[in-house]
Amino acid sequence: MLTVILQQGINGIVVGSLYVLVALGLTLIYGVLVQINFAHADFVTLGAFAAYFITHLLSGNYFAGIAVALVVGGVLGWLLNATIFAPLRERGNELLPLIATIGVSIMLQNAMLVLLGPIPYAFDTPYSNHVIRFAGLFFTVQSMLIIVMSTITIGILYAFMKFTFLGKALRAVSQDRETAGLMGINPNYVIMLTFVIASALAGMSGALLGPVLVLTPFAGTSVIVKAFAIVIIGGFGNVEGTIIAGLIVGLIESYTTQFLDPGLIDIVVFALLLLTLALRPTGLIAERREENV
Amino acid sequence: MAAIAIGLLPMIFTDSYWQTNLIVCAINVLLAIGLDFVLGYAGQLNLGQSAFYGIGAYASTLLITQLGVPFWVAFVCGVLLAGVAGMLLSIFAVRLRGHYLAIASLGFAVITYQVLLNWISLTQGPLGIYAIAPPPPLAIPGMPAIAFSNLGNLFYLTAGFALLTYMLLDQLVRSPVGETLTAIREDEVSAASLGINCPKWKVFAFGISSAVAGAAGCFYASFVGTLVPDAFFITESFSILAMVIVGGMGTLIGPVLGAILLTVLPELLRGIGDLRLIVYGVSVTLVVLFMPGGMVQAARLVAERLRRRVAATPAKAKP
Repeated sequence: MLTVILQQGINGIVVGSLYVLVALGLTLIYGVLVQINFAHADFVTLGAFAAYFITHLLSGNYFAGIAVALVVGGVLGWLLNATIFAPLRERGNELLPLIATIGVSIMLQNAMLVLLGPIPYAFDTPYSNHVIRFAGLFFTVQSMLIIVMSTITIGILYAFMKFTFLGKALRAVSQDRETAGLMGINPNYVIMLTFVIASALAGMSGALLGPVLVLTPFAGTSVIVKAFAIVIIGGFGNVEGTIIAGLIVGLIESYTTQFLDPGLIDIVVFALLLLTLALRPTGLIAERREENV
Repeated sequence: MAAIAIGLLPMIFTDSYWQTNLIVCAINVLLAIGLDFVLGYAGQLNLGQSAFYGIGAYASTLLITQLGVPFWVAFVCGVLLAGVAGMLLSIFAVRLRGHYLAIASLGFAVITYQVLLNWISLTQGPLGIYAIAPPPPLAIPGMPAIAFSNLGNLFYLTAGFALLTYMLLDQLVRSPVGETLTAIREDEVSAASLGINCPKWKVFAFGISSAVAGAAGCFYASFVGTLVPDAFFITESFSILAMVIVGGMGTLIGPVLGAILLTVLPELLRGIGDLRLIVYGVSVTLVVLFMPGGMVQAARLVAERLRRRVAATPAKAKP
């Protein structure tokens, strides 16, 4: 019994750390722009497919696949900011960019469906069938790789935000865009950078998720719905909250699968989301944001 | 005029293929004006429309098939249930900004779909419910009974209901209620400072919107005759959103035009098949970027230009 609990705990952390990577992108963008990018999900899917094709093309060089997925994500993020978010920023309507990205998302998903078909792709990396046994527990090297890669990425991101000038500028813009502008920070540049970083994260998490998920053009959607729940549970724009909430959702997912029924995962996660909205609308780790009058 | 158009259409399109499309149009019009009431007027993005549509469809069907409730009673129950579900959901999320509501409603749509899929003892899951009867014949004393197994009559029923809903919503948005909702859309903080109870009105708008979607669901079930959860997947919410955006949100006639265009256009372009949703996606994005008022704004611009051209050309001397 204990082994089962531990085993599922590890599985939960593996999935959870990937959700954190996806959700961090959403939360970063929300932080600087107070906007949601719906196409984030499709960047995850596109990252996964990019990694799949590169890995197969280069006969099993998974790391090249991850790198390409990172770049693909970054470029898509830059493109999306340049074509959708930047032109709509002057409009001042908070729902228009969200709706536009829903349009982009429908477009990307169905374009992928036409090009790649609905049948799931089997994304086997050289590491997915390597099993390590330890004290009665099983891990694939792939899942270890996922934990290591996401921990490193989150660490780098954290250090970047905390210690570099650009990271500080990013935080300054998310606190107060106008004042940051007065301090000589170019908010447009920071917003562009945030999109590139956030979307590169999405692409990379796609590359890491690809071998774990059922890889279809709609793979990202199931991830993004949980990522949305994570950002709300963790508090929009709150990095630490997002990390904790992501791991919680990952654990909920693996324990629900083990002890209840996989069909209930979304229902349990959503119940937690509603509960958070009802009891602590600012997220589990409260961060006060004054309403602008 | 609309009533005349509705009256004539099934006489022009007598084959069952186009009559089917007409009914789909009427159902989509209902869904779109329902969404527009909460999105275009109250400024709240409801991505759960597919769920309320599904709740209306499944609730009314189950009441009829399992409990033998008469159609119209089940219809009212389905509409009420969808409306109450919408209000309950928005109570959770109204204190928050538009984005939270959008995501909470999207999450609700995902959950409803999962429940429909997994509660097999009730909904038969992916197998679906079959052989749902059309609405019972309407017997008006002194006239032959109107059977709704006839597609033309079913169209009159759904389109008539859509027209009625349109007129009611039209009255509502022209009344002080409409002004209150618009005030909330424009600036919630200012509206609150004027003494408007914003959460209460948002719950109200959400309730109306989801009840209308529930009504559309009841008609859908009795028209198609089969129910599967896939008809109420979240992509349905996005399709409805596309109709509202393309038509022009914030007007009631816009979503009607958008719903008709986006239902009929893919049928006319049969060859594109899989590309239908790509067209939806592209058109939503382009409309938001370049013509946020949708078809209504485009029509106004064209009318304006024509008027100016007429004014610019010197009036011809009358003989």
